[in-house]
Parts: sequence; structure tokens; C-alpha cells
Amino acid sequence: MPTPIVWLHGDSLSPYDAALVAHPAAPAVFVFDEPLLKQARLSFKRLMFIYESAIEALEGRTHELRRGVVVDEVLDFCRAHGGDEVHVSASVSPRFATYLGLLRGNVRVVVHSPPPLVGWSDAAPRRFSHFWRKVEAEALRPTGDGPPELREE
Amino acid sequence: MKLETNHATRAERAAYLAGALEGLYSGEAVPAATIGGRRAAIARLRQFDVTRYGTTRNHVTKRGISFLSPYIRHGVLALAEIRDYILTRFGAGRDTTKYINELAWRQFWQLVYAEYGNRIHQDIEPPKVPRNGTRRSLPDDILQATTGLVCMDESLRELYREGYMHNHARMWFAAYLQHWRGEDWRDGAELFYTHLLDGDPASNSLSWQWVGSTFSHKPYYFNRQNVEKFSDGEYCKRCPLASGGCPFDATYEQLARDLFGMSQEELEQGGQRRGQQSRR
Ligand SMILES: Cc1cc2nc3c(=O)[nH]c(=O)nc-3n(C[C@H](O)[C@H](O)[C@H](O)COP(=O)(O)OP(=O)(O)OC[C@H]3O[C@@H](n4cnc5c(N)ncnc54)[C@H](O)[C@@H]3O)c2cc1C
Repeated sequence: MPTPIVWLHGDSLSPYDAALVAHPAAPAVFVFDEPLLKQARLSFKRLMFIYESAIEALEGRTHELRRGVVVDEVLDFCRAHGGDEVHVSASVSPRFATYLGLLRGNVRVVVHSPPPLVGWSDAAPRRFSHFWRKVEAEALRPTGDGPPELREE
Repeated sequence: MKLETNHATRAERAAYLAGALEGLYSGEAVPAATIGGRRAAIARLRQFDVTRYGTTRNHVTKRGISFLSPYIRHGVLALAEIRDYILTRFGAGRDTTKYINELAWRQFWQLVYAEYGNRIHQDIEPPKVPRNGTRRSLPDDILQATTGLVCMDESLRELYREGYMHNHARMWFAAYLQHWRGEDWRDGAELFYTHLLDGDPASNSLSWQWVGSTFSHKPYYFNRQNVEKFSDGEYCKRCPLASGGCPFDATYEQLARDLFGMSQEELEQGGQRRGQQSRR
């Protein structure tokens, strides 16, 4: 049996993140991307928002928030917890693809797909009106009844 | 480096983070009023009444929008979860459809990003109108929110203080900066990306290109009448330029000629002939 850890990134800061849900007992890590942030210099407000969101998403399980080089920190965290498999949710960001490639050179990685609003497998649409015409019916069909926290209401 | 996470209050948390992330952010270490995390996201979702959405979404001061964008951007809430909740709670109908249509804009930009990658940060199509912006740091009046135009300065102040700007105000500002001030859209996009809590590479850069016409068939622009209508005249009432010198106080036809050197009809037909290069 592989020992999983979860890497949570800034595009998926929910306790219902697909990788977290798939492995409720696995330790998880979030990393502030030091080289990226040094260059991007976002406002503090944004980093605070991310920090608060990550803390809440990881509540109730073994976890760490770190600052550093993302791939190095994830691998270090994985080793520290005796892990041999990294689980993570997909992101369309090109940087995510780069990090995934680097991780895969070192450890087995499983990418989970977050539920989309609508399915789309064609080439990217060029105009929204064209996209909407094709997906409208599906977009307006529920696939569940929303956040679990609000189901009782 | 491992970060601590056990602070008793938000103020303590912010003070700690300011030190722990030193060198990684710009500006003052003051958090926005919007609190991160799932609980705050759920509270906002619960508060949102979609039945006012269709009629008020474009209204900059009435604010019938959901304010969920930072949570959506960072995956705290998924688009599908929100769609399902809105349908369950309010049922189908015009407002629900309009709202879900806006959620779909986000997926649309994400699909474009998935295919184009970092190319979204450069012109995707040739501009349909002449332009002459060159890249440089933005002028001080933009950075200080002192353009003298109340409709711009108020929105900029909200951006700098709270990391938010209403969608219609974003469109006005993006058009003002590009078409009236002649600044390069990428400098505007960087300014937004730095400050917005919802700052997203795809939604941001591609919206700037949509306004500028490098990802749409014509540029977006507006006039004073539009500002008055969607703010109930509140900005103009307080604006020193309202009685003379407002750059937006003209018909669309006049503005098309002043800003782009062509008629509205020419703009509709796709502006500059294909192959004609921009002045840049
Ligand atoms: C120049 C410019 C830059 C923008 N930059 C961003 C950005 O960096 N990040 C971002 O999330 N949105 C961006 N937008 C889109 C839009 O302005 C914001 O999503 C919206 O204002 C967020 O407020 P809300 O959550 O109250 O919106 P609501 O009207 O309540 O909409 C609900 C959700 O739908 C999505 N949505 C609505 N309109 C759009 C749109 N036009 N494009 C994409 N998604 C949309 C958002 O996720 C939003 O939270 C930009 C628009 C412009 C014109």
C-alpha cells in the first residue's frame, strides 16, 4: 500500500479539495512559492487571504504551511512523513505543469480533477457566446445540491 | 521554512504573516476586510440573493452581486457547488440563468488559459483599432487614485484598500486606461493582478484584452451617460469635472471618432482592416 501525502496549492484551497477528500487521513502541505512571490510582489491582502484559506482547508489533519521552493518543500514534507505518493488537484496554470514534471522525476504523483461547471473537451472556444450556446443546457443542470455545509437549510 | 498557524486573533495572524513573508509582498501589511477560508465563503454564499442579480449586476453602487470571486479564484468554493446551491435554493429563472452565465465566463477564460498558457499575457489577436501605448510604469495619478475623476478614483481606492472592484467599474477603468490614457493594457493588468484578491491570470489578462480588442471583435468603451445610469449619478454629483472637462461626456459616435479615428459603424465592422498593423 502506498503512503499518500496531499499537496494543496493556491487554486484549490478548500477542505473539499478533491485530493484531500480522496485521502482524509493523509498529511497535507501548502507552500508559499518564494521565487514566484519575490518577483510578483502581490499585495499583502492577497497573501493574507490565501493564508487564512489554507489554514481552514487543512484544519483537523496533520498539516504544514511553508515558505520556500514549492517542489523542494513538497518532497521534503513527503519524506518527513514517510510518504511515497503525492496527491494534488489539477490546475490549468502552466507553472503547475512545470512543478508536476519536476515532482514526477522524484515521486509518484496522482492528479485529481476538480468537478467542472460543464464538460468541455474541444479546443478552447474563441468567443464566449459560442461557448455559452454549446454549454447552456448542461450549465443549468444541477449535479448535486451544493456545499455540504448548506444542505440542512 | 515552516509557518506558524496558531494565532488567537486576526490581528495577531496578520502581524505574524507580515514578518514571516517579509520580502514577498508589496505595500503595507494590512489585510482586507474580506476574510479568507471556507466559513467566510459559505456565509457570503448564504447571504447572496440571486433574485436581484439580473437587474442590479451592472449597477456599480447598488451592488447586487455575490462578492464570491476571491473564493472562486482560490478554489475555496467550486463553480459547480455554487451553481447547484443557487438552483436548489432559488430554482430556475432569468436571474439564476444570468448568474450561472457569469460563472461560465470564468470557466471560459480558464479553457483559453489551458490552451494558450502564458501567451494570454500578450496580444492574442491584432488590435482592431489604432493604439500607441508603450510599456512603462503607470502615472502617479493612477497609482495614487488622484485622476480627479470620481468614477475612477473611488474604484481605484477600493481596489487598493480592499482588493476588490465591481465588474462594471473594472470595464470602465480598463477602457479609460487604454483608450483615453493610451497606456499599455499589460501595465493595467499588472496593477489589477497585484491588488485584486480575486486576481487571476486568465480572467484578468483576457478581460483586459477583451476591452482592448485583442480578444474580441471591437474595443469596449463607455460614456458619461453610462456611468450616470449605472451609479444613479452618484459619482458625477460629486465630481469637479462634471460641469466641464469630463472626458466621457460625449456620444458614442463622437467618442469612436475621438478615440479610434473611425465611426461607430466602422468599429462594428471590425475596425482596422485585417493585416493593417497597429501604430505601436
Ligand atoms: C478588466 C477586468 C479584469 C478582471 N479581472 C478579474 C480577475 O482577475 N479575477 C476574477 O475572478 N475576475 C476578474 N474579472 C471579472 C469580474 O469583474 C469579477 O469576476 C467580478 O467583478 C467579481 O465580483 P463578484 O464575485 O461579486 O461577481 P458576480 O457578478 O457575483 O459573479 C459571480 C462569479 O462569476 C465569475 N464572473 C463574473 N463575471 C465574470 C467575468 N466577466 N469574467 C470571469 N468571471 C466572472 C466570478 O468568479 C464571480 O465571482 C475582471 C473583469 C474585468 C473587466
